Amino acid sequence: MTLDAAIRLTEVLLALAFIQQGAEHLRRFRDEQVLFLVRTALCVFVILGIGAPWPLGGLALLSLVILHRFRGPYNGGSDRMGLLALWCLVLSQVLPTEKAREIAFGYLGAQLVLSYLIAGWVKIRNPDWRSGRALRQVFAFSVYPVSERARDWAARPRVLFAMSWAVILFELAFPLTLVSQPSLVVGLALAAAFHLANACLFGLNRFFWTWLAVYPAIVWLQGRLF
Amino acid sequence: MIPALRLLLPALIPSWNFFDVIGDSPRLEYALLRSPDEAAPDWLEFRPRPERVPLLAMLGRLFWNARWNETLFVAGRADWLIDEPTEHSRNEIFHRIAADLADRTDREAAWLTFRIALLSELEGKIVREIAFVSEPRRLSTISVR
Repeated sequence: MTLDAAIRLTEVLLALAFIQQGAEHLRRFRDEQVLFLVRTALCVFVILGIGAPWPLGGLALLSLVILHRFRGPYNGGSDRMGLLALWCLVLSQVLPTEKAREIAFGYLGAQLVLSYLIAGWVKIRNPDWRSGRALRQVFAFSVYPVSERARDWAARPRVLFAMSWAVILFELAFPLTLVSQPSLVVGLALAAAFHLANACLFGLNRFFWTWLAVYPAIVWLQGRLF
Repeated sequence: MIPALRLLLPALIPSWNFFDVIGDSPRLEYALLRSPDEAAPDWLEFRPRPERVPLLAMLGRLFWNARWNETLFVAGRADWLIDEPTEHSRNEIFHRIAADLADRTDREAAWLTFRIALLSELEGKIVREIAFVSEPRRLSTISVR
């Protein structure tokens, strides 16, 4: 995949993810409606490729207003990845040299790899994750399970032990998938399944779409490095 | 603009330490009062979870999950309110509870208060501790739009 194709695909996927998120803000409060209607309009310009790179620049500036409105990201990690992707895309379009554009977009791909690797590293260092206790606590009393029935998973320590190690090993092994394009495709398919499970069990739908939007960056980076 | 740039920085240099430690978990409860000094209010859980969510609904929530994402946002602000209390977090919580109650029938209860319970695990048992109780606020002064 060429740099330009990867950037274009990422910006379209990110704009679609932003439209999905923005729609969720249109149902209730007037100030949010205004902010997210403007964002949706800018996303449509990005998807149609009109006036590039100004709509992306507008989204970046608007992201600061939205951060100020909520005094931080509305939905934690998923919004942070969206912001990272947005600002890397802006830089990869406006920086003057090909090398600088590659570094800005490559940084996004590298951060995607780190998002799995570091998440795995902090878990394997924690004895509660290694024993399955941490995941049991997530199901037992955290705010995330979407239903009371989902909390029943907390009563299955052996399954949660296996699930904990599956998550830890997958996250730590993810960088190894960069060795070839086929292995990366397998790695990304597993990662998408992981995000889908999180969306179903914990209602984290924004993670699913935002992380998927960044996949072209890692596909491009893999081709560039190996 | 500078405070917003400061908020942007953790996104540009992320830590990615998701779920590194499972900390205390907040539960938001609210009560409607007839007067600000009403004793022993009847606390209700803010948006209790459904008993179950069918698979089809789970998949539908990939595309539309506004209520749940707002519930997680409110839980996040409840966490902040305990760690680093700000008027903004307090206002957000009042604002969103009041919006949920906009269609209530009991108009005599003109005051709203909320509290935050923290759930944690102690010697294998889940324990619950009230960590924050808000001052009552007159409902008519809270924006619901």
